[in-house]
Amino acid sequence: MKKSFTTALLLTAGIAVATSSFAGHHGHKSAVVPKITQEAVMTGLESPWDVDMLADGTMFYTEKCKGFSVRMPDGSVNALYGMNGSSGYAGMGSDLICSNQAGMLGIAVDPNFDQNRRIYVASASTKYHGDGCKTNFERCDGNIVMRFEVSDDFKSVSNRTDIVKDIQFKPFESNHPFGGNGAHNGNRPTFGPDGSLWITTGDRHRGVCPQSPELICGKVLRIDTDGNAHPDNNPPAGFDKRIYTYGHRNVQGIAFRADGAVFTAEHGPWHNDELTMLVNGKNGGWDPRQNVGGRGECPDEYCGYMPNQKEGVIPAVRAAYMPMSDTRFPDLMPPAWQNNGYSQGTSSIAFLSGKQWGMYEGRAVVGIMGIAFGGTPAGMRLDVYDIAQDGQSIKSVIHLPVESKRYRGVTMGPDGALYANTDEGEIYKITATK
Amino acid sequence: MVSRLMYVGIFSAFLFAALMSRAVAGDAAVGEQQFKEKNCFVCHGPGGKGMASYPKLAGRDVDYLVDRLNTYRSGTKVGPNSDLMIMNAKPLTDEEIDNLAVYLNSAKPK
Repeated sequence: MKKSFTTALLLTAGIAVATSSFAGHHGHKSAVVPKITQEAVMTGLESPWDVDMLADGTMFYTEKCKGFSVRMPDGSVNALYGMNGSSGYAGMGSDLICSNQAGMLGIAVDPNFDQNRRIYVASASTKYHGDGCKTNFERCDGNIVMRFEVSDDFKSVSNRTDIVKDIQFKPFESNHPFGGNGAHNGNRPTFGPDGSLWITTGDRHRGVCPQSPELICGKVLRIDTDGNAHPDNNPPAGFDKRIYTYGHRNVQGIAFRADGAVFTAEHGPWHNDELTMLVNGKNGGWDPRQNVGGRGECPDEYCGYMPNQKEGVIPAVRAAYMPMSDTRFPDLMPPAWQNNGYSQGTSSIAFLSGKQWGMYEGRAVVGIMGIAFGGTPAGMRLDVYDIAQDGQSIKSVIHLPVESKRYRGVTMGPDGALYANTDEGEIYKITATK
Repeated sequence: MVSRLMYVGIFSAFLFAALMSRAVAGDAAVGEQQFKEKNCFVCHGPGGKGMASYPKLAGRDVDYLVDRLNTYRSGTKVGPNSDLMIMNAKPLTDEEIDNLAVYLNSAKPK
């Protein structure tokens, strides 16, 4: 389980892990290459976006344009809460919408689920548009994080409470590749080892977003389960206190290493997907504003795909013009890895835990979705990264021997298997044995 | 006299449409191969079932598919992902467009 189960493991292991080592990086490194097997546990879903699980294997999952459901350990499924226009769900939010990249995305189970029955879901919503959202160049509070309580029989949810109401949303199409409304939402919630809730957000194709002190777009948030800022967040003066890091493009992956370090997987534009170790209050270095960083005016005030955004350009030229991690920022968090200049669509990230993973134990597994565009090789795989302990580089990367799929989410399960959901509509169980 | 002129007009319109249109005689098997080799499936999914923010193509009318690919090939934008489709459609030949359209029309999502 990428969230609450990982948290439970960390809390249980406690100081022993922190003071000794985490497998794969210090003394206990295994040389065993595990045997990998893959089986589909669910098929025929509609764009399953995220999964989280309880210790007994109960699996909550979202479908981007439908809603969220729970698969019980016996294989039965209860459709819990649907979006506008969906049917067959026990409950429904008429404000929850789906458009292009936006919809019902991330889901996270509370580490104290056994006591409070709470889960958290990120989705696009029309409920808080207010006077905004009239153009692409203004505030649009259109992505939210909801908290629900699950009934004892897992057949319904209640007490919806919107704990974050002002994640930004792109309301209209713009003159960019992938320029439809609803672009770049982030929206991958996860629980940290200390029980705080982390929320990733995207730049929603608005140039000013990532470096804006007030707008929570292009950010990673650290909050409590009521939506309040974590007291130890340390953003620059004048920034929203919920912000842990800023200057991001579209963070679809976030996970905690066994030593507590937090890493994001970030989707590049035409170039430079990145894995980054986050540092409290620091800058990811994405700044797609026009008329800054040596750039002039850009289509619809967003330089994210420039120069020459509609044609193939040598990745290094793009990266020099519109860097993912701009070194002009003194508080830049340099990435541990960038994709050799390419963008192949990094999605989710998880750290492989358990000795059954052999030499991969402790390494990061990342979904690479890549659409093979403009000379970029296709993705459609899971890669495993051995990230250096200081988070500033990687030692190696290999392709996990699994089917070629568009892996949108990866989640460590309570059974030590990796669960991977695909845009094709499956949830796979990927098992390692020595 | 009026009705005779009307018949002539209708006949002329059909004749003009027939002359202007291009018969679609694609090969579905070749189209399936192209769908894979040109990485169309990476966005549109296996069998053109559609996934993420990319539309379903399986089962669409041949005429619709040919028209869309021709439109993109000409550089005309239709929808938010036009830039991607324009770049992918530009190198396609008439024959390749026919093959893809016939295949997708008959495709059953996998």
